[in-house]
Amino acid sequence: MLELSKATLAIFVDRSSNRWIVRDTDGSFWLLPPVAEPWQHREAYQPAEDGELEPVPAHYKYLLGLPL
Amino acid sequence: MNAEQRRLWEACEQSALWRQWGPYLSERQWGTVREDYSEGGDAWNYFTHDQARSRAYRWGEDGLGGISDDRQRLCFALALWNGQDPILKERLFGLTNCESNHGEDVKEYYFYLDSTPTHSYMKYLYKYPQAAFPYAQLVETSRGRGRQEFEYELLDTGVFNDNRYFDMFVEYAKASPQDVLIQITVHNRGPDAAELHLLPTLWFRNQWSWHTEADRPQLEQVDAAAGAPVVRATEPQLGARYLYCDGDATLLFTENETNTERIFGVPNRTPYVKDSFHEYVVHGRRDAVNPAHRGTKAAAHYQFMLQPGESRAVRLRLTDVAPDAWARGNGQSPGPFGANFEEAYQARLREADEFYAELTPKSLDSDAANVFRQALAGMMWSKQFYHYDVDKWLEERGSDPFKPTRKAAPRNDHWHHMYNGDVISMPDKWEYPWYAAWDLAFHVLALTLVDPDFGKQQLKLMLRERYLHPNGQIPAYEWNFGDVNPPVHAWATIFTYRLERGLTGEGDNEWLKSVFQKLLLNFTWWVNRKDRSGRNVFEGGFLGLDNIGVFDRSAPLPTGGYLEQADGTAWMALFCQNMLEIAGVLAMTDPDYEDMALKFVEHFLWIASAMGHVGQDNGMWDEEDGFYYDVLRLPNGDSQRLKVRSMVGLLPLCAATTFEGELLRRSPEIGERLRWFLKSRPELTAAIHDPMKQGVMGRRLASILDETRLRRVLAKMLDENEFLSPYGLRSMSRYHEQHPYVIHAGGQEYRVSYLPAESDTGMFGGNSNWRGPIWMPVNALVIRALLQYYAYYGDNFQVECPTGSGRMMNLYQVAEEIGRRLTSIFLRNAGGDRPVYGGARKFQDDPHWRDCVLFYEYFHGDNGAGLGASHQTGWTGIIARIMHLFATMTQEKAREERGAYFRAGSEIPVEAPAATS
Repeated sequence: MLELSKATLAIFVDRSSNRWIVRDTDGSFWLLPPVAEPWQHREAYQPAEDGELEPVPAHYKYLLGLPL
Repeated sequence: MNAEQRRLWEACEQSALWRQWGPYLSERQWGTVREDYSEGGDAWNYFTHDQARSRAYRWGEDGLGGISDDRQRLCFALALWNGQDPILKERLFGLTNCESNHGEDVKEYYFYLDSTPTHSYMKYLYKYPQAAFPYAQLVETSRGRGRQEFEYELLDTGVFNDNRYFDMFVEYAKASPQDVLIQITVHNRGPDAAELHLLPTLWFRNQWSWHTEADRPQLEQVDAAAGAPVVRATEPQLGARYLYCDGDATLLFTENETNTERIFGVPNRTPYVKDSFHEYVVHGRRDAVNPAHRGTKAAAHYQFMLQPGESRAVRLRLTDVAPDAWARGNGQSPGPFGANFEEAYQARLREADEFYAELTPKSLDSDAANVFRQALAGMMWSKQFYHYDVDKWLEERGSDPFKPTRKAAPRNDHWHHMYNGDVISMPDKWEYPWYAAWDLAFHVLALTLVDPDFGKQQLKLMLRERYLHPNGQIPAYEWNFGDVNPPVHAWATIFTYRLERGLTGEGDNEWLKSVFQKLLLNFTWWVNRKDRSGRNVFEGGFLGLDNIGVFDRSAPLPTGGYLEQADGTAWMALFCQNMLEIAGVLAMTDPDYEDMALKFVEHFLWIASAMGHVGQDNGMWDEEDGFYYDVLRLPNGDSQRLKVRSMVGLLPLCAATTFEGELLRRSPEIGERLRWFLKSRPELTAAIHDPMKQGVMGRRLASILDETRLRRVLAKMLDENEFLSPYGLRSMSRYHEQHPYVIHAGGQEYRVSYLPAESDTGMFGGNSNWRGPIWMPVNALVIRALLQYYAYYGDNFQVECPTGSGRMMNLYQVAEEIGRRLTSIFLRNAGGDRPVYGGARKFQDDPHWRDCVLFYEYFHGDNGAGLGASHQTGWTGIIARIMHLFATMTQEKAREERGAYFRAGSEIPVEAPAATS
């Protein structure tokens, strides 16, 4: 039942900041900065209540170098 | 054996991979289900044509007149710019389903002019306007048109006025399986000099972005060979390939990767992205391409100014021959574009002519031979590498079927066993760039004219564990694999088996056995899923006939209750007959199949008799009308026939098969058991044709219709005021033009009228219409049935054709007459016009257009004009089989010799070729 508590990895675009946003399997959100290894330099991110994140297909995780 | 036949043999034996390179590139990958990751499944709007130039595809590639290897690692196609267009022309443009008044529609002119089955020679024509392509005009004007109006076509925009366009002929010829010669010939048809940028483009399908395990392939410029710019392509599985570019070209390089800036608003990691060539050519951005001359997408940039009437040829060569090897060859250093290029090109062209000269019946005149060859060219060009891993796709959209946190997927949730990654014959590589199971079975009828081995492979593919659902259902098509298509796979199977046996003297029993086992699973799925009451009458929903019913047959009925479908039940009767044929063949060498043969005799009788008996007065047969109808069963127990005279009611006629009695002679026990069954259940044969009654040559006939009912249905079918049009059989009787069928349910009126052209509703996407037009596949089925009846009844069974004409014909002559009418859609008539092109004068009169033939999805019920998808070879390619059939058969042969047609067919190799040519 451990699986039940896990969220699914999800990738988004925040159009206001023009950045990739990642929700990890713990449900935490991260902003990826425009650097060579963005996941290593990820920054905590809090989605705005009225902000709308645009979903990106999960296969972009390889393109973004996400180790998840 | 001619040269192409030898290559087919080598391909079949896998001694030479002649089929490895072919036209496997789609005409459209954008707007497909597999590229759609939207929440609601809005495939057309999720990945648009506008995005396609900038966004890397996940599952496949598309291009203009292109080729790829059979795993689609490396692709080649054209890119064009006329100095006016807002975008580089890298792919065909068309309207999406919601943009057009009659559903999705490609708005370009291109023609599949030629192809051999191994693609040793291919020719394609694209007509490229010299003015700016009217993208917005097409969208806006079409949006403003209603369903009652014609589609707005590219010719209507005026962009081809004064012939201001380029004819772009693309030819491929294989010097060897891995050495593809490419010749692009451009003609300026206009009255003024015109500029053209031609960019033959080579690129890798992007796999590296979507996997951790995928190695990144590379394209790079290498030292020129004999002055020709060279691109080296390196990929782990494919090895090294070289693209040699003749003449004065600049090589451009970028990456086949998404321009994230343009698509998502997020800065790119690299400046070299999928649309860099567009930026370079159209916007003059020299920094858009990689100065290091490497990447995963490359183009040779040629620029011409062509005078009126001038033409220019560009040659390229995609090969595994490295630059230094040219220098070693014979010490002559001929180079990639030396005499060997022209010699090999001319040889393949000549061999293609030889192949078709032998295949084409001598009785076809030059116009008919041209139609025949282009129909088959279309079949060959419509092959496509189709890639769709449904489990992965579900996972990538957060719908992993085994994760409890999953989101529901908008479609194909229950098909996660599917892994498709094969070259498949498509219905239409722009409008329907995905396989459709029942279409494919019809495709095989035409494909086997030139390549029986490929036909067999296609039929078996759909039954593999990567396709067939564990429950036995054959996948329908990607919009909903769980939809139900008519079960015609068994028919295509026995047809293909008999064809090969007729041509080679030996059938492939192992193939037949393996297909039969899987078809048993499929048959059982049908019986257990689509016979609600267990009374051998079947449903099935739309069953491929889209809007033919008064209600949407795939949706819950507004009346409640359910439909007992005449077509569904007839399809199952035919399925039984085909399975009986297969089991009968196999039982001749393996007695284990005798029981299966008997099982399918009995099952056929249960189904056939149910069509006549079930519901008694409210069965499917209407004695007053002499026709079959769907029956509506209401929740309160009432029922009524839905009296729409359509192809639904003709399909019971199609469930007819003659048997020679070989199995009964070989196995008397089977005969005894069958006679006992028939004797103990006389009610089963009371309302159908007596299966034990012998006809011509002692044959027996399995048929739902007895002679009386057959004559009554034929009288309607052959009535020009009902089904028989000058161009074949209509899908709905013209009777309904004056007499619409109307039913009221739930306070609403439902109405069906004869509608000979496009659909006037949005049902099933609105781009197909089964309420009047002529459809090739069902016409082919009727022709098959008529030949079966003729083989049984012979010359003594005569009917008036057309009804009321006083002209009597036997059923062979009737079949031939329908074939003649169908063929006349494409041939020039006495006035020099091809009915398929209707009032499009450019296509009728212009010498650069009029002999380029398009094989549409369906045809106007009164004038034969082409409608729907414009490149549906695809099942309309069956016209080649129909032309071949009646050009090589005679009544006498059809009556006297079982399987005569299969023996009289094309000259497919019957023995191994000699070691040397």
